[in-house]
Amino acid sequence: MIRIVTLAPYDETDLAWLGKTLYTAFGLGTELAGERKPPASAELAGGRTDAEKLVQAAGAPRVVADDKILFLSAADLALPPGPLGEPPAWGFAQQGGVRAVVSTRRLPARGATEASVENWRRRLARECIHFVGHLWELHHCYDPRCAMHPSWSPDLAPNPDAVLCNFCREKSERKIRLAKT
Amino acid sequence: MKPESPETEAGSADGLIGDPSSLKPGDRVVYPNQGVCRVTGTDLQEIAGQKLELVRMVREEDGAAVLIPRAKVASVGLRRVASRSYIEGVFHYLAAQYTDPELDWKIRHRDNADRLVTGGVLGVAEVVKGLHSLSHIRPLPTKEREQYDSSRHLLVAEVSASLGVPPSVAEDYVDYALMPPAGVTFKLKPPPRPVELPVRFARRKPIAKAEEELGLDDLGLELGELGELGEGAAAEEGAEKGEEAAGAEGAEGEAGAETAEEPPARAVPPAKGKPSPKKAAPAPKKAARKPAARPGPKPARTAAKAAPKKAAPKKPAHKPAKKAARGGKK
Repeated sequence: MIRIVTLAPYDETDLAWLGKTLYTAFGLGTELAGERKPPASAELAGGRTDAEKLVQAAGAPRVVADDKILFLSAADLALPPGPLGEPPAWGFAQQGGVRAVVSTRRLPARGATEASVENWRRRLARECIHFVGHLWELHHCYDPRCAMHPSWSPDLAPNPDAVLCNFCREKSERKIRLAKT
Repeated sequence: MKPESPETEAGSADGLIGDPSSLKPGDRVVYPNQGVCRVTGTDLQEIAGQKLELVRMVREEDGAAVLIPRAKVASVGLRRVASRSYIEGVFHYLAAQYTDPELDWKIRHRDNADRLVTGGVLGVAEVVKGLHSLSHIRPLPTKEREQYDSSRHLLVAEVSASLGVPPSVAEDYVDYALMPPAGVTFKLKPPPRPVELPVRFARRKPIAKAEEELGLDDLGLELGELGELGEGAAAEEGAEKGEEAAGAEGAEGEAGAETAEEPPARAVPPAKGKPSPKKAAPAPKKAARKPAARPGPKPARTAAKAAPKKAAPKKPAHKPAKKAARGGKK
């Protein structure tokens, strides 16, 4: 079961659409677990939020067995800088763990037209599949059409599909089956 | 080898552990192809009547127990987790411009396997980068896709252990270097020296040698002139060579390590005029093989085959060849 916790107000129809897409991608049920306040301890100077601390400190419902928790946030997430600088943070996931967060800050504007809302939903679904994929121990994929391709890659299409490639899908299915047994 | 401090590790290729006594409980080490492990102690066990002292470790990723005999610590390639400065060098390698990937799958597969076992963290990074750049040319076949995924897993685990960041952040660092966003450029330093792979010798036969085997030198003929000879003769020779070549390729593909055992003399063609042992070898081989299959007509055939070398090569060479072809069909 994937439990979606929002840390900012979101449209219910968007969340329902997201739930359906996650179910299609992983074959797991999804549930909206309500809205929580973002933890103050994760806030950094300059209005940014430490992604790792946010995931650890955010309040979440109780989980059982192979449940995963996905936080949706509007905060500008920050990651610790690496040897070549700080990579752009679209979200953060505990690899093989339980919790992940996706930020809607970098998503294209939602707008009001049907097309723009559709684009926004698709991109949100893609990022959510990406970070839930990390929870199932998936690594980044070289295929730009796969949802596990890095979100900042220049090869990524402007409106990328919210699907996994064959290899990543099979791997996630294997991991989910293993977790269930 | 002495246990190396983190500073010296940065300079060495892989920080191999030569002396097992330097391992203490709590040390973090990397087992090639397995990942980052933590030493928990030593065990004394009796296995197959032998008392072995084993180094006990736990794989950090899943808690699996790993036991290595103390005597084999060096030979399995156990090494310390790379230092931060060395990892930074690896990132400069990942972000650097890449030359064309190896397109011959056999060589690529063999080299990648060597890199993963003996190349340290830089070897793993080389495999990831090589397969990543190959994926830009064409999708990777299943085996290589799996190898790409597992080497990425090893690299991420070691970067994560070395820099003290969660694995997903370590993976972001790796991909930030491999696929930087549009408009981002890095000030790169010279990357570490590439991993040195074991020297292997070419198995391919030089053309000059094939000419020698046919004894064309004595007749003053070149290989191109063989086209005038009967097609069957060429087919027969070709079939035999094909068998040899297929055998050699099969051996190369299945057991790459065997190639290293091949004597270097094979790579160097022998001097032209001198009768080499290789030159003499094919004739007895044929004589030994063919009479066993069909003892009767063989001597006549070999005689007929030898005869045209001195007289007219065209007609007699044609006839036995046709016979051979018919015999093959039957």
